[in-house]
Amino acid sequence: MSDKKVPADEPEVFQDPLQNYEPKVFRDSLEKALAEESVAAIQYRPVAITAPDTPIYKAVEELANLQVACLLVEEEGRLVGVFSDRDVLDKVALEFEQLKDKAVREVMTKDPVFVYESDSSAAALSVMAVNGFRHVPVTDVKQKVLGIISPQRVTAFLRKHLQG
Amino acid sequence: MGLYDNIRNEVVGKLALRDPVVVQENVTIRDTVKAMRQEKLGCAIVLDGNRIPLGLFPESELTRLLSKNPAVVDEPIANHIKKDWPTVKITDPIARVLDALESHNVRFLIVVDEQGQLAGLTGQKGLMEYVAEHFPGQVIVQRIGGKPYPVEREGA
Repeated sequence: MSDKKVPADEPEVFQDPLQNYEPKVFRDSLEKALAEESVAAIQYRPVAITAPDTPIYKAVEELANLQVACLLVEEEGRLVGVFSDRDVLDKVALEFEQLKDKAVREVMTKDPVFVYESDSSAAALSVMAVNGFRHVPVTDVKQKVLGIISPQRVTAFLRKHLQG
Repeated sequence: MGLYDNIRNEVVGKLALRDPVVVQENVTIRDTVKAMRQEKLGCAIVLDGNRIPLGLFPESELTRLLSKNPAVVDEPIANHIKKDWPTVKITDPIARVLDALESHNVRFLIVVDEQGQLAGLTGQKGLMEYVAEHFPGQVIVQRIGGKPYPVEREGA
């Protein structure tokens, strides 16, 4: 047992080091949600995943048939790229005949910016608003794909909190 | 005032509107794609003689068409524009953008003036930028992914 003695000239009054702490006051529920809720609060499933050696024509068909704007490209359980409508526009549309049988890895966007499930919801908005990417993959710490956040899903998140 | 109030009181004109790609009806999809690439924009708009929007050609439609028939790129854009694309007025509250994006499930919205003439383009990205502007403390300082957290301890 400790034998520590309080010096005679010190009062035995407990001082809470957080007694002057004032919790942040949020102006509305959206600001609070951005600060306190994680990416998991935004719907991020279902997600469309393809392999890097998928032929480009097949990846284009997948985008069209699934009616999604973005496929996540996963190799050995790890996110390696994304292939989106914008890649079709920028790299494939006018070169389709020459590229259609090549692997999607040749035209996908490599090393995409992603967020972790535990990141704040604001991080997903930051990727969209600051980095300019419309689709944000969600991964675990080993970069295994968990889902994707699309602008539509963020819009639904904003609406939910604006109504609060 | 919080975002809740701003989004209902501020007008679409306060958003950072984009200059849209505008093409003539008889232009091919190939030339439209070249213009969209040059302007780094995911859609093109066709106007009538009075600058009233006739329709919009989104990149998602390009993907759909290519999956069916790659030779479509040499057809005129007029055959493939989406008519009656949702519009918002430049004087509408920003809340209307949110409503239109969600109810029509679209990425872009045509912005028109009081006469219905083209005034600009907005969409999901414009809305995200607006939120980021209102909550810079929350949004702009975020750690951005791309480099994973180290799974193993560093050092000795």
